[in-house]
Amino acid sequence: MNTVLENIGEFLKFTGFANATWGHIFMIVIGLAFIYIAIKREWEPLLLVPIGFGIIVGNIPLFPGLNVGIYEDGSVLNILYQGVQKGWYPPLIFLGIGAMTDFSALIANPKLMLIGAAAQLGIFGAYAIALAMGFAPNEAGAIGIIGGADGPTAIFLSSKLAPDLMGAIAVSAYSYMALVPVIQPPIMRLCTTKKERLIRMPAPRIVSQREKILFPIAGFLLTAFIVPSGLPLLGMLFFGNLLKESGVTRRLAETARGPLIDVVTILIGLTVGCSTQADKFLQPSSIMIFVLGFLSFAIATFGGVMFVKFMNLFLKPGNKINPLIGNAGVSAVPDSARISNLEGLKYDKRNFLLMHAMGPNVAGVIGSAVAAGILLGFLG
Amino acid sequence: MIVLCALAISASASAQNLNEMLINEVLVNNETSLVDGFGNRNGWIELLNSSYGTVDIGGCYLTNDTQNMKKYLIPSGDVNTKIAPRQVVVFHASGKGDQGTFYTNFKIEPGDTLYLVSNDGRTIIDQVVIPSDLGTDESYGRVHIDGTIDDTRFEKMSPSPNSQNGDPEAETKSQIMARTDPYGWIISLTSMSVVFTSLIVLFLIFKLIGKLSVKYMHKGENKKTAKKAPAKVKVAKTGNATEVAAAIAMAMDKEFGAETEAAIALALHLHFDSCVHDQESFVITIKPHMTFWSDKRDMMLHKPTK
Repeated sequence: MNTVLENIGEFLKFTGFANATWGHIFMIVIGLAFIYIAIKREWEPLLLVPIGFGIIVGNIPLFPGLNVGIYEDGSVLNILYQGVQKGWYPPLIFLGIGAMTDFSALIANPKLMLIGAAAQLGIFGAYAIALAMGFAPNEAGAIGIIGGADGPTAIFLSSKLAPDLMGAIAVSAYSYMALVPVIQPPIMRLCTTKKERLIRMPAPRIVSQREKILFPIAGFLLTAFIVPSGLPLLGMLFFGNLLKESGVTRRLAETARGPLIDVVTILIGLTVGCSTQADKFLQPSSIMIFVLGFLSFAIATFGGVMFVKFMNLFLKPGNKINPLIGNAGVSAVPDSARISNLEGLKYDKRNFLLMHAMGPNVAGVIGSAVAAGILLGFLG
Repeated sequence: MIVLCALAISASASAQNLNEMLINEVLVNNETSLVDGFGNRNGWIELLNSSYGTVDIGGCYLTNDTQNMKKYLIPSGDVNTKIAPRQVVVFHASGKGDQGTFYTNFKIEPGDTLYLVSNDGRTIIDQVVIPSDLGTDESYGRVHIDGTIDDTRFEKMSPSPNSQNGDPEAETKSQIMARTDPYGWIISLTSMSVVFTSLIVLFLIFKLIGKLSVKYMHKGENKKTAKKAPAKVKVAKTGNATEVAAAIAMAMDKEFGAETEAAIALALHLHFDSCVHDQESFVITIKPHMTFWSDKRDMMLHKPTK
């Protein structure tokens, strides 16, 4: 009888109940909140559901040595996590993004590319603030990239520059991407006058298939030669786009933008969620990262809108750009472009800005990949 | 016989190579140096394969205790324990040997003597006495001069895990930036300039390509126009046809989500701005069409026939 009781006692030591801490419970509640927001509000559900569930999985209290935790060498979760740690999931996601992105709006009106560049101000603004707050330059660079509003880029860069902060950075980046409809509109209204919000932009011209095919090739050669350190992201982005536009690789393009990106999204979401174990995640630095992430988004939005106003000083009447598309330089595709459209419609029910906003939006993807490459070159 | 000889030679070569493994660098108090796979900063021990052949250190031991020379067994069978020629490998002295191959089950302290022991558990391959006054984020390592290893001289130095000791470039880029650009202005300005340059060049190229493309398209359209119909009517139609085609083409695009919405938005925009109309001839024509009720032949009486 005693042996049975001893065995039961021994077994209980292995259960999650015996090893749970308040940190684990708190993180599980956060995971549940993510799932709730994703299902109820439909905010970035494709990411928040896997991340939310991953947070729960990662915070199941484990008895050390079972070799099942994400940080234990050779465990299943650890093997899946290699894609995040070594940074090969993000380029695969970029392949899918390239295969699903239509750069026509950008090719038709190439000056919109500059808005995508201006919005990267958020990355470097947050970098300077993070340095002032006491983060090391490599950590500050990884935090600043949250302002690029690009989850895969944030994961890619933080895995290279500050692996210990990656969980907080990834969760922060995806959370703020989901909160784009809340963060951006007040800043857009603050920076623009009613007259500016009513600007109508001329319809974009038709883009030939030849131009669409040339874009990924020229874009890749140019950006990769300038910033070779951004090769994994830029290469995959433009390669995916070439698959889409070439017209002869439909099956490959469909796989890249369909099953492949879905599989990698599931794996990246789940493992990033798992990596937020209470003892690693519940640190003062995580709160600072969330604050800096918000600032980064705000500065990026401000930078994009103000740059459009600056451009308008040099553009002829009839050719002016509505500054409400400036926020779309933040590369949260297509959410920030949708915000431009919705804000535009509030002031003029016939002013559809979505097509125009898609230009800076996809330019922002290129811009943030270039910015990530630069930071990697300087700090990696 | 040949196989046995080969095995014997390779075994002796391997044993010989094992003797060329060196304790290359040690760091005890880690506050800003290497972060392990668990996000922690521990002391670390760097081993160097100074030979020109791959060495498998699986089965060897690391210890800081002469009474227990088999304190930490480096697991065999892990591909990562095969160290390539002139390469280094870092062990985290976390005190938790169950965290993985490169995590020792003991921590290191200043004043410890560290041993790398062969797989027989007795032969000491290399050893180093860690200075008792070794500071925080200060490492103790072998002196490398222009890639040549002085295997007798150890010095206190800036930590350079996973790279050559004493190399000025061993200072991480991040540390260099912290020293040269503490407020981040230089990197911010430089980076923004590079981002802008990249996209400005791309803008200029596609501006040029766009102009050429439009010119080419107009040329093509004009050729067709000249062939088919009177110029006046056709020019008017081409303008609208282009816009309608753009809207329809984009709406017909098989993409989903925002792009479809964007196409619809553009079509609506064009419609409300009265840019897009159907071209009507304003000529209403009713073509005669005979039915059972209207066909006069059916209404007439037929001649009686036999």
